[in-house]
Amino acid sequence: MRNRLISLGTLAGLIAAIIAGCGSQPAAPTPPPAAAGKLNLDDWESIVAAAQGQTLNWYMWGGSESINRFVDEFYGVPLAERYGITLNRVPIADTVDAVNQVLSEKEAGTDPGAVDIIWINGENFLSLKQAGMLLPDWSRRLPNARLVDWDNPALAFDFGEPVEGYESPWSSAQFQLIYDSARMGEAGLPRSYARLLEWAKANPGRFTYIAPGPGAFQGTRFVKGALFELSGDAAQWVSHDQARWERWSPALWAYLNALKPYLWRQGETYPRDENELHSLFANGEVDFSITQAIAGAGPLIAEGLVPATARAFVFDDYMIGDVNYVAIPRNAPNKAAALVLANLILEPELQAAQILPEHGFGLGYAIDVTRVTDPAQLAALEAAQSRLGAAATPAADLAGALVGDAAGAYQRLVEDGWREHVLIGTGQ
Amino acid sequence: MMPDATHPPARRAAALLGRMVLGAVLLGPILALLLHASSTHWFFPRLVPAEWTLAPLLRQLGDPRTRAALGASLLTAGITTGIALLLGLPAARVLGLRTFRGRSLVLLVLFLPNIVPPLAIGMGLNVLLLRLGLAGSIAGVVLVHLVPVVPYAILALLGVFARYDEGYELQARTLGANPCQVWLRVALPLLWPGLAVAALFAFLVSWSQYVLTLLVGGGQVITLPILLFAAVSGGNPTSIAGLALLFAAPPAVAIALAVRALAAAAGQPARGMS
Amino acid sequence: MTRARQTFGIWLALAPALAVVGLLVGASLAYGVAQSLGLLAILGTSQVSVAAYRDLLDGTGPAGREFWPALGFSLWVSLASTGLSALGALLVAAALGRRPADGTILLMLNLNLAFPHLVWAVALGLLLGQSGLLARLAAALGLIDAPAEFPVLVRDRDGLGIILHYVSKEMPFLMLIVLAVLRTQGTEYDLVAENLGADGWQRVRHITLPLVLPALAAGSALVFAFSFGAYEVPALLGVRYPRTLAVLALESFVNPDLRQRATGMALGLIIGLVTLVVVGLGRAWQRAEVRHDA
Repeated sequence: MRNRLISLGTLAGLIAAIIAGCGSQPAAPTPPPAAAGKLNLDDWESIVAAAQGQTLNWYMWGGSESINRFVDEFYGVPLAERYGITLNRVPIADTVDAVNQVLSEKEAGTDPGAVDIIWINGENFLSLKQAGMLLPDWSRRLPNARLVDWDNPALAFDFGEPVEGYESPWSSAQFQLIYDSARMGEAGLPRSYARLLEWAKANPGRFTYIAPGPGAFQGTRFVKGALFELSGDAAQWVSHDQARWERWSPALWAYLNALKPYLWRQGETYPRDENELHSLFANGEVDFSITQAIAGAGPLIAEGLVPATARAFVFDDYMIGDVNYVAIPRNAPNKAAALVLANLILEPELQAAQILPEHGFGLGYAIDVTRVTDPAQLAALEAAQSRLGAAATPAADLAGALVGDAAGAYQRLVEDGWREHVLIGTGQ
Repeated sequence: MMPDATHPPARRAAALLGRMVLGAVLLGPILALLLHASSTHWFFPRLVPAEWTLAPLLRQLGDPRTRAALGASLLTAGITTGIALLLGLPAARVLGLRTFRGRSLVLLVLFLPNIVPPLAIGMGLNVLLLRLGLAGSIAGVVLVHLVPVVPYAILALLGVFARYDEGYELQARTLGANPCQVWLRVALPLLWPGLAVAALFAFLVSWSQYVLTLLVGGGQVITLPILLFAAVSGGNPTSIAGLALLFAAPPAVAIALAVRALAAAAGQPARGMS
Repeated sequence: MTRARQTFGIWLALAPALAVVGLLVGASLAYGVAQSLGLLAILGTSQVSVAAYRDLLDGTGPAGREFWPALGFSLWVSLASTGLSALGALLVAAALGRRPADGTILLMLNLNLAFPHLVWAVALGLLLGQSGLLARLAAALGLIDAPAEFPVLVRDRDGLGIILHYVSKEMPFLMLIVLAVLRTQGTEYDLVAENLGADGWQRVRHITLPLVLPALAAGSALVFAFSFGAYEVPALLGVRYPRTLAVLALESFVNPDLRQRATGMALGLIIGLVTLVVVGLGRAWQRAEVRHDA
């Protein structure tokens, strides 16, 4: 036994030595915030020249074949033809995988790293910003940044966190619901959270929503919408106020617990993500799904996830809209190519292409159409908007219901509170 | 146990039911994958798909990215399997045949990667490989694959060595065989079933690695699981099933080979193998 | 051969495997321990703190409130999965071990080893879900009218769907291990016992089991460890509450608040410790079993 202890000690010593050896390596010194490497953003031609011949490692969620194809075709091809950049799209199952890669590189002091650019928003943006691993002060200095309305709070704040030049917008999204026009008429649709409760009571077991939690922001967003409606005003949640939360959250839990017994499986469990909800909806287990796409149910029909008769709709108010972005890690190996892509994404003709359901992406514009001066480009953008198809929510409905997201601090409060008071709690 | 012999019909019925449940659970999911891979828009309550199509599957097969990933997977899993057997054979031999001080500790260390969840060591492994400058290369990916793979190889070999009779080797050597002949003519035939199973486990475990490949491969080494896990996150049954079947083909061949080795070891030629 | 030379030979044979596995895992583990104690270079903190463990064990903090139920749920799921897989593997292997080899049956039993757990869980859902293939069969036969009438076989509160997954996936794995031993062994003992009049169960219990116990026990330990530490299957085939420890740990790792990483690492290490304790108890039981049988 003593012998074993000795060898255990030796082993531990060995490991400690390895770790100490690793630890003695100096962490990468933080570069001054002004520099995007040695790139000069005020001289765009120099960046385009530097990008020539680079291979761009774009880490993005790769779960949708149609989005993958859209990216390869609409960005991969022009990157190669116009700029001599090879696109290496790295498909990941969850954006948090890219975040963890960059965080590991920070720990190891690896520079250059492996990731050039990430499709990102919300909590993953917050993680990397908090860790100081994002390239600062670049997005507002891109040539096409003039097409972006940076004063729009929905764009300048990502899940309540200031964007501050750390990421550049790709597309916009808005919370919507989906119903099957073959199963129910438009007249019978609930148009508010209050009416939804009545609808659920009349149709027990036919509604559910995604469980709020990290990585399932759609569920959190559904619950936030209920909070907005109950409190009668979305704008007051733009800043964090704990007292306000204490005042309104009991009503929120009461509402959700009133809904619970009429949910799918009596609220015993909830779908984990959008896929599971789409599948429940498509197979007739529930009557509503959700989407964030401006093209509504169109891309989902094209992908084969929901029946061709699926249609998107919104409540009359409190449908949260937001923007998703691309961000460049501080230690990206091909920063010039990443900047070129971020700028390319904002080209009006590509923005016009991304919203069309047949292209498989279906998310909305990141640019402000009124800032586009070229008549041909403007016409293309306006034409695309009129070709979203029957499966999309009418533009007027979307605009009428649009509200901004709540301050970032409410994310945790909603998620933790929901688990405690609604999922686990016996408030029914 | 119930007195079977007195109720042969009841026993036969129970055995039949057992076999049906076993078959449904082991083969039913594969049937579901086959049907979903060749259809789209297939929803409840349709028992058989209305829209048959092989287009997504063929598109997947024709995609150069898929083929490159298949190649990368075969390369990493093949090399990993070979090295794991080379590392595992001598270790399993002494662990199975010798008693020595520290044996339990060695077993503990070797099986540590399976005891501690991947969540807890994945990031540490990645940081370590980044510091060693091995991230982003096939070599680095093989090295991290060895961590979960070697224990499985040793486990399979251990079971065989635990019952292995060194007497045969000694006898052969007494009769004048050289070490090479002893290994080829005596040890290998005796170890063959265990070796086949060990190679199979090593291959399967390496073939299925997702997190370690993604982290250490750093987007430069893209294997099939990376495409497959991304597809699963998209929830489209047609895409998932198509990639899953493609993914499963090489391991299925490996399983068939290992099974043949096992069947042959029982002294019977394997019949009816597909 | 001298004793010293023999000892040297033993360690030489072990060195390559130990070097690769021991060093890589040892270093990663040390890193994990440091993270769980709040030493996070990504945040630049350097104060050692056991807060992550304390918050978990005394049940404060959001993750802590779920810790004990999650531990119980994980133990139930993993122990049931391991026990049923081992029993099934033993019985099937014993039945097959006596037959002339049939490659097709063996292949059918093992084919699902070709699929990763994540995909198998998806496929089980497609088969057994309330709108899955079986439910459609029931609807076609007129047994049910709507998906909700079909019994909940996966994503159930008791973890039966997760257990079913692990049994169907790990039973073939254990069966291969058992068969590898049986095939190396031959069937002589078994035939002798049969000639002496032993019935099926007695032969399995007193001949096959002692023969394969070391390998089966080691394999079962791996099955337990895997099912106790992996999150993919319970995340897919489980309910939102109760959750397993591994799913709880995963949530800490995807949490945007990087300070939660300490909690995630602490959970991961606790999972490893519990696994060690359970496997240790299993080994003690195995030794007792061998003595009892001898």
